[in-house]
Amino acid sequence: MAPLLQLKHVVKRFGGLVATHDVSFDVEENETVFIIGPNGAGKTTLFNLISGYLTADSGEILYRGQNLVGMKPYQTTRLGIGRTFQIVKPLPSLTVRENVMLGSFLHHHSWPEASRKADEVLDFFGLARRADQLASGLPLAQRKLLEVARALATGAKLLLLDEVMAGLNPTESAEVVALLKRLTGFGVSAVAGVEHIMRVVMALATRVVVMDQGAKLAEGPPQTVVHDPRVVEAYLGSKYSQGGAQR
Amino acid sequence: MRRWLPALVFFALLVSLPLWLKDAYLQQIVFRVVIFAVLGIAWNLVGGYAGQLSLGHVAYFGIGAYSVALFHEHFELNPWLGTVLGVVLACLAALLIGSLTFRLRGPYFALSTIAAAEILRLLALNLSFTHGAIGMIAPAFFAEPNGDTKTYYAALPLLLLAFAVATYTHRSRFGYYLRAIRENEDTAMAVGVNPAVEKLKALLLSAALVAAAGALYAGVFQFIGPDSVLTVDLSVQMALIAMLGGVATVWGPIIGAVVLTVAAEGLKAYLERAHLFFYGLLLVLVVLFLPGGLVSITKLRWFRRSAARAQAG
Repeated sequence: MAPLLQLKHVVKRFGGLVATHDVSFDVEENETVFIIGPNGAGKTTLFNLISGYLTADSGEILYRGQNLVGMKPYQTTRLGIGRTFQIVKPLPSLTVRENVMLGSFLHHHSWPEASRKADEVLDFFGLARRADQLASGLPLAQRKLLEVARALATGAKLLLLDEVMAGLNPTESAEVVALLKRLTGFGVSAVAGVEHIMRVVMALATRVVVMDQGAKLAEGPPQTVVHDPRVVEAYLGSKYSQGGAQR
Repeated sequence: MRRWLPALVFFALLVSLPLWLKDAYLQQIVFRVVIFAVLGIAWNLVGGYAGQLSLGHVAYFGIGAYSVALFHEHFELNPWLGTVLGVVLACLAALLIGSLTFRLRGPYFALSTIAAAEILRLLALNLSFTHGAIGMIAPAFFAEPNGDTKTYYAALPLLLLAFAVATYTHRSRFGYYLRAIRENEDTAMAVGVNPAVEKLKALLLSAALVAAAGALYAGVFQFIGPDSVLTVDLSVQMALIAMLGGVATVWGPIIGAVVLTVAAEGLKAYLERAHLFFYGLLLVLVVLFLPGGLVSITKLRWFRRSAARAQAG
Protein backbone atom coordinates (compact mmCIF):
# COMPACT_ATOMS: atom_id res chain seq x y z
CA MET A 1 0.00 0.00 0.00
CA ALA A 2 1.15 3.52 -0.79
CA PRO A 3 2.27 5.60 2.16
CA LEU A 4 -0.23 8.02 3.72
CA LEU A 5 2.09 10.95 3.17
CA GLN A 6 5.01 11.22 0.78
CA LEU A 7 7.41 14.10 0.48
CA LYS A 8 9.44 14.05 -2.73
CA HIS A 9 12.36 16.44 -3.19
CA VAL A 10 10.58 19.32 -1.46
CA VAL A 11 12.33 22.69 -1.81
CA LYS A 12 11.28 25.96 -0.19
CA ARG A 13 13.27 29.18 -0.43
CA PHE A 14 12.70 32.45 1.38
CA GLY A 15 14.61 34.87 -0.82
CA GLY A 16 18.20 33.68 -0.70
CA LEU A 17 17.63 31.36 2.26
CA VAL A 18 16.86 27.75 1.46
CA ALA A 19 14.50 26.70 4.26
CA THR A 20 14.05 23.13 3.07
CA HIS A 21 16.39 21.61 0.53
CA ASP A 22 15.39 18.50 -1.39
CA VAL A 23 13.62 16.83 1.51
CA SER A 24 12.05 13.43 0.91
CA PHE A 25 10.47 11.03 3.37
CA ASP A 26 7.28 9.02 3.86
CA VAL A 27 4.81 8.62 6.66
CA GLU A 28 3.08 5.24 6.57
CA GLU A 29 -0.24 4.40 8.18
CA ASN A 30 0.02 3.54 11.87
CA GLU A 31 3.34 5.30 12.16
CA THR A 32 4.42 8.06 14.50
CA VAL A 33 7.21 9.95 12.79
CA PHE A 34 9.06 12.66 14.65
CA ILE A 35 11.07 15.31 12.93
CA ILE A 36 13.93 16.53 15.04
CA GLY A 37 16.78 18.90 14.48
CA PRO A 38 18.42 22.05 15.81
CA ASN A 39 16.61 25.39 15.71
CA GLY A 40 16.24 26.72 12.18
CA ALA A 41 16.57 23.28 10.64
CA GLY A 42 13.31 23.76 8.72
CA LYS A 43 11.03 21.55 10.79
CA THR A 44 8.12 23.96 11.19
CA THR A 45 8.56 25.08 7.57
CA LEU A 46 8.04 21.47 6.58
CA PHE A 47 4.78 21.36 8.54
CA ASN A 48 3.63 24.62 6.99
CA LEU A 49 4.36 23.19 3.55
CA ILE A 50 2.38 20.02 4.23
CA SER A 51 -0.61 21.83 5.72
CA GLY A 52 -0.69 24.51 3.02
CA TYR A 53 0.37 27.59 4.99
CA LEU A 54 3.37 27.76 2.66
CA THR A 55 3.70 26.61 -0.93
CA ALA A 56 6.70 24.55 -1.99
CA ASP A 57 8.85 25.98 -4.76
CA SER A 58 9.44 22.52 -6.20
CA GLY A 59 8.90 18.90 -5.33
CA GLU A 60 5.78 16.98 -4.48
CA ILE A 61 3.85 16.40 -1.28
CA LEU A 62 1.46 13.51 -1.79
CA TYR A 63 -1.32 12.65 0.65
CA ARG A 64 -2.97 9.36 -0.34
CA GLY A 65 -1.50 9.94 -3.77
CA GLN A 66 -2.95 13.45 -4.13
CA ASN A 67 -0.54 16.35 -4.55
CA LEU A 68 -0.97 18.94 -1.79
CA VAL A 69 1.34 21.56 -3.30
CA GLY A 70 -0.68 24.69 -4.07
CA MET A 71 -3.53 23.77 -1.75
CA LYS A 72 -4.79 26.17 0.89
CA PRO A 73 -4.73 25.20 4.58
CA TYR A 74 -8.50 24.73 4.75
CA GLN A 75 -8.30 22.32 1.81
CA THR A 76 -5.68 20.12 3.46
CA THR A 77 -7.78 20.14 6.65
CA ARG A 78 -10.82 18.97 4.70
CA LEU A 79 -8.71 16.13 3.24
CA GLY A 80 -7.95 14.89 6.74
CA ILE A 81 -4.76 16.62 7.81
CA GLY A 82 -5.05 18.19 11.25
CA ARG A 83 -2.39 20.37 12.76
CA THR A 84 -1.46 22.21 15.91
CA PHE A 85 0.59 25.38 16.11
CA GLN A 86 3.90 25.77 17.90
CA ILE A 87 2.60 29.02 19.39
CA VAL A 88 -0.81 27.96 20.66
CA LYS A 89 -3.69 29.74 19.03
CA PRO A 90 -6.85 29.03 21.01
CA LEU A 91 -9.66 31.50 20.47
CA PRO A 92 -9.66 33.25 23.84
CA SER A 93 -13.19 34.65 23.76
CA LEU A 94 -14.72 31.23 23.13
CA THR A 95 -15.17 28.51 25.73
CA VAL A 96 -13.08 25.37 25.70
CA ARG A 97 -15.99 23.38 24.24
CA GLU A 98 -16.61 26.00 21.54
CA ASN A 99 -12.94 25.88 20.58
CA VAL A 100 -13.18 22.16 20.00
CA MET A 101 -16.55 22.56 18.26
CA LEU A 102 -14.82 24.68 15.63
CA GLY A 103 -13.05 21.45 14.71
CA SER A 104 -16.06 19.15 14.93
CA PHE A 105 -18.22 21.50 12.84
CA LEU A 106 -16.24 20.31 9.81
CA HIS A 107 -18.14 17.03 9.69
CA HIS A 108 -21.01 17.73 12.08
CA HIS A 109 -22.94 20.68 10.75
CA SER A 110 -25.60 21.01 13.43
CA TRP A 111 -24.86 22.64 16.77
CA PRO A 112 -25.97 19.75 19.03
CA GLU A 113 -24.02 17.17 17.05
CA ALA A 114 -20.86 19.27 16.94
CA SER A 115 -21.21 19.88 20.64
CA ARG A 116 -21.60 16.17 21.39
CA LYS A 117 -18.56 15.30 19.29
CA ALA A 118 -16.58 18.05 21.05
CA ASP A 119 -17.52 16.66 24.47
CA GLU A 120 -16.32 13.24 23.38
CA VAL A 121 -12.93 14.63 22.46
CA LEU A 122 -12.73 16.80 25.60
CA ASP A 123 -13.51 13.77 27.72
CA PHE A 124 -10.62 11.89 26.13
CA PHE A 125 -8.23 14.74 26.93
CA GLY A 126 -9.48 15.13 30.48
CA LEU A 127 -10.76 18.63 29.70
CA ALA A 128 -14.47 17.89 30.19
CA ARG A 129 -14.46 19.65 33.54
CA ARG A 130 -13.22 22.82 31.85
CA ALA A 131 -15.65 22.70 28.90
CA ASP A 132 -17.60 25.82 29.83
CA GLN A 133 -14.58 27.93 30.81
CA LEU A 134 -13.11 30.51 28.48
CA ALA A 135 -10.09 29.15 26.68
CA SER A 136 -8.07 32.18 27.76
CA GLY A 137 -8.27 30.94 31.39
CA LEU A 138 -6.55 27.62 30.74
CA PRO A 139 -3.00 26.96 31.93
CA LEU A 140 -0.43 26.36 29.18
CA ALA A 141 -0.43 22.57 29.40
CA GLN A 142 -4.17 22.44 28.87
CA ARG A 143 -4.07 25.05 26.13
CA LYS A 144 -1.66 22.76 24.32
CA LEU A 145 -4.02 19.84 24.77
CA LEU A 146 -6.87 22.00 23.54
CA GLU A 147 -4.92 22.56 20.30
CA VAL A 148 -4.60 18.81 19.80
CA ALA A 149 -8.26 18.33 20.73
CA ARG A 150 -9.39 20.87 18.15
CA ALA A 151 -7.26 19.27 15.43
CA LEU A 152 -8.55 15.82 16.40
CA ALA A 153 -12.16 17.01 16.31
CA THR A 154 -11.82 17.82 12.59
CA GLY A 155 -11.66 14.06 12.10
CA ALA A 156 -8.01 14.22 11.08
CA LYS A 157 -6.40 11.04 9.76
CA LEU A 158 -2.95 12.53 9.78
CA LEU A 159 -2.11 14.68 12.76
CA LEU A 160 0.77 17.17 12.61
CA LEU A 161 1.89 18.12 16.10
CA ASP A 162 4.21 21.11 16.25
CA GLU A 163 6.11 21.06 19.55
CA VAL A 164 3.17 20.07 21.68
CA MET A 165 5.47 19.40 24.63
CA ALA A 166 7.40 22.67 24.63
CA GLY A 167 6.92 24.51 27.88
CA LEU A 168 5.45 21.54 29.74
CA ASN A 169 7.05 20.13 32.86
CA PRO A 170 8.10 16.43 32.87
CA THR A 171 4.96 15.28 34.71
CA GLU A 172 2.72 17.09 32.27
CA SER A 173 4.56 15.85 29.22
CA ALA A 174 4.40 12.26 30.54
CA GLU A 175 0.63 12.66 30.76
CA VAL A 176 0.44 14.02 27.23
CA VAL A 177 2.61 11.17 25.94
CA ALA A 178 0.17 8.69 27.49
CA LEU A 179 -2.72 10.45 25.75
CA LEU A 180 -0.99 10.61 22.36
CA LYS A 181 -0.35 6.86 22.48
CA ARG A 182 -4.13 6.32 22.44
CA LEU A 183 -4.92 8.64 19.53
CA THR A 184 -5.66 5.75 17.14
CA GLY A 185 -8.90 5.30 19.07
CA PHE A 186 -10.09 8.49 17.38
CA GLY A 187 -9.42 7.29 13.88
CA VAL A 188 -5.99 8.85 13.56
CA SER A 189 -3.95 6.81 11.08
CA ALA A 190 -0.61 8.49 11.57
CA VAL A 191 1.09 11.22 13.55
CA ALA A 192 3.94 13.43 12.49
CA GLY A 193 5.51 15.54 15.19
CA VAL A 194 8.14 18.19 15.57
CA GLU A 195 9.73 17.87 18.96
CA HIS A 196 12.79 18.93 20.90
CA ILE A 197 12.28 16.85 24.01
CA MET A 198 14.12 13.61 23.26
CA ARG A 199 12.40 11.68 26.04
CA VAL A 200 9.11 12.26 24.27
CA VAL A 201 10.55 11.35 20.88
CA MET A 202 12.04 8.12 22.22
CA ALA A 203 8.75 7.18 23.90
CA LEU A 204 6.46 7.83 20.93
CA ALA A 205 8.35 7.67 17.65
CA THR A 206 8.32 4.63 15.42
CA ARG A 207 10.71 6.50 13.14
CA VAL A 208 12.73 9.68 13.36
CA VAL A 209 13.69 12.12 10.59
CA VAL A 210 16.60 14.37 11.46
CA MET A 211 16.80 17.77 9.79
CA ASP A 212 19.76 20.11 9.75
CA GLN A 213 20.00 23.42 7.89
CA GLY A 214 17.03 22.64 5.69
CA ALA A 215 18.15 19.21 4.57
CA LYS A 216 17.38 15.72 5.76
CA LEU A 217 20.39 14.47 7.68
CA ALA A 218 19.28 11.03 8.76
CA GLU A 219 16.26 8.83 9.07
CA GLY A 220 15.52 5.63 10.94
CA PRO A 221 14.34 4.05 14.17
CA PRO A 222 14.91 6.36 17.14
CA GLN A 223 17.54 4.19 18.82
CA THR A 224 19.69 4.03 15.70
CA VAL A 225 19.32 7.69 14.81
CA VAL A 226 20.40 9.12 18.13
CA HIS A 227 23.69 7.24 17.92
CA ASP A 228 24.39 8.34 14.37
CA PRO A 229 27.60 10.43 14.53
CA ARG A 230 26.24 12.95 11.99
CA VAL A 231 23.24 13.58 14.22
CA VAL A 232 25.35 14.02 17.30
CA GLU A 233 27.55 16.44 15.39
CA ALA A 234 24.59 18.53 14.22
CA TYR A 235 23.35 18.84 17.76
CA LEU A 236 26.51 19.07 19.82
CA GLY A 237 29.33 19.96 17.42
CA SER A 238 32.07 17.82 15.90
CA LYS A 239 33.99 17.44 19.16
CA TYR A 240 31.39 15.01 20.47
CA SER A 241 30.85 13.02 17.31
CA GLN A 242 34.23 11.31 17.18
CA GLY A 243 33.05 8.53 19.38
CA GLY A 244 33.51 9.99 22.63
CA ALA A 245 34.09 11.69 25.77
CA GLN A 246 37.14 13.76 25.23
CA ARG A 247 36.00 16.20 27.84
CA MET B 1 -39.73 28.69 25.39
CA ARG B 2 -38.40 31.14 27.95
CA ARG B 3 -35.57 31.90 25.58
CA TRP B 4 -38.02 33.49 23.15
CA LEU B 5 -39.94 35.50 25.74
CA PRO B 6 -37.90 38.73 25.44
CA ALA B 7 -38.24 38.63 21.65
CA LEU B 8 -41.97 37.99 21.89
CA VAL B 9 -42.50 40.91 24.28
CA PHE B 10 -40.30 43.16 22.19
CA PHE B 11 -42.07 42.47 18.91
CA ALA B 12 -45.51 42.62 20.53
CA LEU B 13 -44.59 46.06 21.84
CA LEU B 14 -43.44 47.19 18.39
CA VAL B 15 -46.60 45.89 16.72
CA SER B 16 -48.88 47.64 19.23
CA LEU B 17 -46.96 50.93 19.28
CA PRO B 18 -48.85 52.82 16.54
CA LEU B 19 -52.11 51.98 18.34
CA TRP B 20 -51.28 54.00 21.45
CA LEU B 21 -48.46 56.25 20.26
CA LYS B 22 -50.36 58.71 18.07
CA ASP B 23 -47.82 61.52 17.87
CA ALA B 24 -46.41 61.60 14.33
CA TYR B 25 -42.98 62.80 15.49
CA LEU B 26 -42.67 60.03 18.07
CA GLN B 27 -43.85 57.48 15.52
CA GLN B 28 -41.12 58.61 13.21
CA ILE B 29 -38.55 58.12 15.95
CA VAL B 30 -39.79 54.56 16.47
CA PHE B 31 -39.51 53.94 12.73
CA ARG B 32 -35.92 55.17 12.88
CA VAL B 33 -35.24 52.85 15.81
CA VAL B 34 -36.50 49.88 13.78
CA ILE B 35 -34.46 50.85 10.71
CA PHE B 36 -31.32 51.47 12.77
CA ALA B 37 -31.80 48.17 14.61
CA VAL B 38 -31.81 46.41 11.23
CA LEU B 39 -28.69 48.34 10.22
CA GLY B 40 -26.94 47.54 13.52
CA ILE B 41 -27.77 43.84 13.28
CA ALA B 42 -26.62 43.73 9.67
CA TRP B 43 -23.35 45.55 10.44
CA ASN B 44 -22.80 43.23 13.39
CA LEU B 45 -22.57 40.20 11.09
CA VAL B 46 -19.51 41.65 9.36
CA GLY B 47 -18.09 43.98 12.00
CA GLY B 48 -19.04 42.03 15.11
CA TYR B 49 -19.02 38.30 14.42
CA ALA B 50 -16.46 38.33 11.61
CA GLY B 51 -14.53 41.21 13.19
CA GLN B 52 -14.12 43.12 9.91
CA LEU B 53 -14.45 46.80 10.79
CA SER B 54 -16.45 48.01 7.81
CA LEU B 55 -16.97 51.76 7.69
CA GLY B 56 -18.53 51.71 4.26
CA HIS B 57 -21.84 50.01 4.92
CA VAL B 58 -23.67 53.15 3.88
CA ALA B 59 -22.90 52.08 0.29
CA TYR B 60 -25.55 49.34 0.52
CA PHE B 61 -27.98 51.65 2.30
CA GLY B 62 -27.58 54.21 -0.48
CA ILE B 63 -27.99 51.59 -3.20
CA GLY B 64 -31.26 50.49 -1.59
CA ALA B 65 -32.54 54.05 -1.22
CA TYR B 66 -31.45 55.24 -4.65
CA SER B 67 -32.82 52.11 -6.36
CA VAL B 68 -36.33 52.90 -5.15
CA ALA B 69 -36.05 56.49 -6.42
CA LEU B 70 -34.20 55.75 -9.67
CA PHE B 71 -36.32 52.85 -10.86
CA HIS B 72 -39.41 54.86 -10.05
CA GLU B 73 -38.31 57.97 -11.90
CA HIS B 74 -36.75 56.35 -14.94
CA PHE B 75 -38.74 53.12 -15.35
CA GLU B 76 -41.86 53.89 -13.37
CA LEU B 77 -41.39 50.78 -11.25
CA ASN B 78 -43.26 50.63 -7.96
CA PRO B 79 -41.13 50.93 -4.80
CA TRP B 80 -41.50 47.22 -3.94
CA LEU B 81 -39.85 46.20 -7.20
CA GLY B 82 -37.33 48.98 -6.62
CA THR B 83 -36.55 47.44 -3.23
CA VAL B 84 -36.03 43.99 -4.69
CA LEU B 85 -33.76 45.38 -7.40
CA GLY B 86 -31.95 47.45 -4.78
CA VAL B 87 -31.26 44.33 -2.71
CA VAL B 88 -29.96 42.52 -5.78
CA LEU B 89 -27.75 45.46 -6.78
CA ALA B 90 -26.44 45.80 -3.22
CA CYS B 91 -25.50 42.11 -3.23
CA LEU B 92 -23.65 42.56 -6.51
CA ALA B 93 -21.88 45.60 -5.10
CA ALA B 94 -21.04 43.62 -1.93
CA LEU B 95 -19.56 40.86 -4.06
CA LEU B 96 -17.33 43.34 -5.86
CA ILE B 97 -16.45 45.50 -2.83
CA GLY B 98 -15.96 42.45 -0.60
CA SER B 99 -13.70 40.56 -2.98
CA LEU B 100 -11.53 43.67 -3.28
CA THR B 101 -11.50 44.96 0.31
CA PHE B 102 -11.34 41.64 2.21
CA ARG B 103 -7.83 41.19 0.84
CA LEU B 104 -6.79 43.92 3.25
CA ARG B 105 -6.52 43.60 7.01
CA GLY B 106 -7.26 45.86 9.97
CA PRO B 107 -7.19 49.62 9.38
CA TYR B 108 -6.45 49.17 5.67
CA PHE B 109 -9.67 47.22 5.30
CA ALA B 110 -11.64 49.91 7.16
CA LEU B 111 -10.16 52.65 4.96
CA SER B 112 -10.86 50.75 1.75
CA THR B 113 -14.53 50.30 2.71
CA ILE B 114 -14.81 54.05 3.30
CA ALA B 115 -13.26 54.61 -0.12
CA ALA B 116 -15.74 52.28 -1.82
CA ALA B 117 -18.69 54.08 -0.21
CA GLU B 118 -17.20 57.48 -1.09
CA ILE B 119 -16.96 56.46 -4.76
CA LEU B 120 -20.69 55.80 -4.74
CA ARG B 121 -21.39 59.10 -2.99
CA LEU B 122 -19.34 60.99 -5.56
CA LEU B 123 -21.10 59.17 -8.39
CA ALA B 124 -24.50 60.11 -6.97
CA LEU B 125 -23.26 63.66 -6.54
CA ASN B 126 -21.99 64.03 -10.11
CA LEU B 127 -24.18 61.87 -12.36
CA SER B 128 -27.00 63.58 -14.14
CA PHE B 129 -29.62 60.87 -13.72
CA THR B 130 -29.26 61.01 -9.92
CA HIS B 131 -29.67 64.82 -9.99
CA GLY B 132 -26.42 65.35 -8.07
CA ALA B 133 -26.57 67.27 -4.83
CA ILE B 134 -30.21 68.21 -5.40
CA GLY B 135 -31.17 64.64 -4.63
CA MET B 136 -34.21 62.67 -5.64
CA ILE B 137 -37.81 62.21 -4.67
CA ALA B 138 -38.54 58.64 -3.62
CA PRO B 139 -42.06 57.25 -3.99
CA ALA B 140 -44.04 56.29 -0.89
CA PHE B 141 -44.71 52.59 -0.40
CA PHE B 142 -48.30 53.21 0.63
CA ALA B 143 -50.81 55.89 -0.29
CA GLU B 144 -52.18 58.23 2.37
CA PRO B 145 -53.87 58.11 4.83
CA ASN B 146 -51.47 56.54 7.33
CA GLY B 147 -48.89 55.73 4.66
CA ASP B 148 -46.02 56.03 7.12
CA THR B 149 -47.67 53.75 9.66
CA LYS B 150 -48.12 51.15 6.94
CA THR B 151 -44.47 51.48 5.96
CA TYR B 152 -43.61 51.01 9.63
CA TYR B 153 -45.52 47.73 9.55
CA ALA B 154 -43.57 46.80 6.44
CA ALA B 155 -40.33 47.47 8.33
CA LEU B 156 -41.22 45.16 11.23
CA PRO B 157 -40.97 41.92 9.20
CA LEU B 158 -37.56 43.14 8.01
CA LEU B 159 -36.47 43.58 11.63
CA LEU B 160 -37.88 40.16 12.44
CA LEU B 161 -35.89 38.70 9.54
CA ALA B 162 -32.73 40.47 10.71
CA PHE B 163 -33.35 39.20 14.24
CA ALA B 164 -33.81 35.65 12.92
CA VAL B 165 -30.57 35.90 10.95
CA ALA B 166 -28.75 37.16 14.06
CA THR B 167 -30.20 34.42 16.26
CA TYR B 168 -29.26 31.78 13.72
CA THR B 169 -25.76 33.19 13.28
CA HIS B 170 -25.17 33.37 17.02
CA ARG B 171 -25.48 29.63 17.53
CA SER B 172 -24.64 28.08 14.19
CA ARG B 173 -21.61 26.73 12.41
CA PHE B 174 -21.62 29.86 10.24
CA GLY B 175 -21.45 32.11 13.32
CA TYR B 176 -18.65 30.12 14.90
CA TYR B 177 -16.69 30.21 11.68
CA LEU B 178 -17.07 34.01 11.59
CA ARG B 179 -15.88 34.26 15.19
CA ALA B 180 -12.90 32.04 14.35
CA ILE B 181 -12.00 34.36 11.46
CA ARG B 182 -12.25 37.36 13.77
CA GLU B 183 -9.94 35.83 16.37
CA ASN B 184 -7.37 34.20 14.14
CA GLU B 185 -7.53 33.40 10.44
CA ASP B 186 -4.73 30.84 10.66
CA THR B 187 -6.65 28.86 13.26
CA ALA B 188 -9.82 29.23 11.24
CA MET B 189 -8.11 27.71 8.22
CA ALA B 190 -6.72 24.91 10.39
CA VAL B 191 -10.28 23.79 11.14
CA GLY B 192 -11.24 23.84 7.47
CA VAL B 193 -12.68 27.33 7.14
CA ASN B 194 -12.20 29.27 3.91
CA PRO B 195 -12.08 32.82 5.36
CA ALA B 196 -12.70 34.56 2.03
CA VAL B 197 -15.90 32.62 1.39
CA GLU B 198 -17.32 32.99 4.92
CA LYS B 199 -16.59 36.73 5.02
CA LEU B 200 -18.31 37.19 1.66
CA LYS B 201 -21.36 35.24 2.86
CA ALA B 202 -21.59 37.52 5.90
CA LEU B 203 -21.22 40.63 3.76
CA LEU B 204 -23.89 39.51 1.26
CA LEU B 205 -26.40 38.84 4.05
CA SER B 206 -25.50 42.14 5.65
CA ALA B 207 -25.72 44.16 2.43
CA ALA B 208 -29.12 42.68 1.54
CA LEU B 209 -30.58 43.68 4.93
CA VAL B 210 -29.01 47.14 4.79
CA ALA B 211 -30.30 47.77 1.25
CA ALA B 212 -33.85 46.77 2.21
CA ALA B 213 -33.65 49.12 5.20
CA GLY B 214 -32.39 51.89 2.91
CA ALA B 215 -35.32 51.39 0.54
CA LEU B 216 -37.89 51.63 3.36
CA TYR B 217 -36.11 54.67 4.77
CA ALA B 218 -36.40 56.36 1.36
CA GLY B 219 -40.08 55.47 1.24
CA VAL B 220 -40.79 57.28 4.49
CA PHE B 221 -38.52 60.30 4.18
CA GLN B 222 -39.21 60.51 0.46
CA PHE B 223 -36.37 62.85 -0.18
CA ILE B 224 -32.91 61.38 -0.57
CA GLY B 225 -29.57 62.83 -1.54
CA PRO B 226 -25.87 61.96 -1.42
CA ASP B 227 -25.57 63.68 1.95
CA SER B 228 -28.49 61.89 3.54
CA VAL B 229 -28.20 58.27 2.35
CA LEU B 230 -24.56 57.99 1.25
CA THR B 231 -22.77 59.91 3.97
CA VAL B 232 -19.95 58.30 5.91
CA ASP B 233 -21.66 59.44 9.14
CA LEU B 234 -24.27 56.78 8.59
CA SER B 235 -21.61 54.07 8.24
CA VAL B 236 -20.08 55.19 11.51
CA GLN B 237 -23.50 55.19 13.14
CA MET B 238 -24.14 51.57 12.13
CA ALA B 239 -20.86 50.59 13.76
CA LEU B 240 -21.62 52.70 16.84
CA ILE B 241 -25.04 51.10 17.32
CA ALA B 242 -23.52 47.62 17.37
CA MET B 243 -20.59 48.66 19.57
CA LEU B 244 -22.71 50.62 22.02
CA GLY B 245 -25.13 47.74 22.43
CA GLY B 246 -22.56 44.98 22.31
CA VAL B 247 -20.74 43.48 19.32
CA ALA B 248 -21.31 39.86 18.37
CA THR B 249 -24.50 39.63 20.42
CA VAL B 250 -28.09 39.22 19.22
CA TRP B 251 -29.63 41.97 21.35
CA GLY B 252 -26.71 44.42 21.34
CA PRO B 253 -27.56 46.24 18.10
CA ILE B 254 -31.25 46.45 19.05
CA ILE B 255 -30.44 47.99 22.43
CA GLY B 256 -27.86 50.20 20.75
CA ALA B 257 -30.40 51.41 18.21
CA VAL B 258 -32.96 52.23 20.90
CA VAL B 259 -30.50 54.05 23.14
CA LEU B 260 -28.67 55.90 20.38
CA THR B 261 -31.78 57.07 18.52
CA VAL B 262 -33.70 58.04 21.65
CA ALA B 263 -30.63 59.72 23.12
CA ALA B 264 -29.94 61.64 19.92
CA GLU B 265 -33.53 62.87 19.58
CA GLY B 266 -34.06 63.46 23.30
CA LEU B 267 -30.84 65.39 23.74
CA LYS B 268 -31.61 67.42 20.64
CA ALA B 269 -35.06 68.31 22.02
CA TYR B 270 -33.93 69.34 25.50
CA LEU B 271 -30.35 70.51 25.12
CA GLU B 272 -30.44 72.10 21.70
CA ARG B 273 -26.93 72.93 20.63
CA ALA B 274 -25.25 71.12 23.55
CA HIS B 275 -26.75 67.80 22.45
CA LEU B 276 -23.69 66.62 20.53
CA PHE B 277 -21.54 67.08 23.62
CA PHE B 278 -23.73 64.80 25.72
CA TYR B 279 -24.11 62.36 22.86
CA GLY B 280 -20.31 62.10 22.73
CA LEU B 281 -20.08 61.83 26.50
CA LEU B 282 -22.51 58.89 26.49
CA LEU B 283 -20.36 57.07 23.93
CA VAL B 284 -17.16 57.71 25.85
CA LEU B 285 -18.70 56.47 29.11
CA VAL B 286 -19.92 53.24 27.54
CA VAL B 287 -16.60 52.57 25.84
CA LEU B 288 -14.72 53.26 29.09
CA PHE B 289 -16.88 51.38 31.57
CA LEU B 290 -18.70 48.80 29.46
CA PRO B 291 -16.33 47.79 26.69
CA GLY B 292 -18.61 44.82 26.00
CA GLY B 293 -21.47 47.20 25.25
CA LEU B 294 -24.70 47.85 27.11
CA VAL B 295 -25.70 44.18 27.05
CA SER B 296 -22.73 43.37 29.26
CA ILE B 297 -24.50 45.03 32.22
CA THR B 298 -26.89 42.09 32.43
CA LYS B 299 -24.07 39.67 31.99
CA LEU B 300 -22.23 41.24 34.90
CA ARG B 301 -25.21 40.99 37.25
CA TRP B 302 -26.01 37.50 36.10
CA PHE B 303 -22.39 36.55 36.61
CA ARG B 304 -22.30 38.02 40.12
CA ARG B 305 -25.53 36.38 41.14
CA SER B 306 -24.58 32.95 39.90
CA ALA B 307 -21.12 33.32 41.43
CA ALA B 308 -22.71 34.21 44.78
CA ARG B 309 -25.03 31.25 44.48
CA ALA B 310 -22.13 28.93 43.72
CA GLN B 311 -20.31 30.15 46.84
CA ALA B 312 -23.36 29.73 49.06
CA GLY B 313 -24.20 26.26 47.78
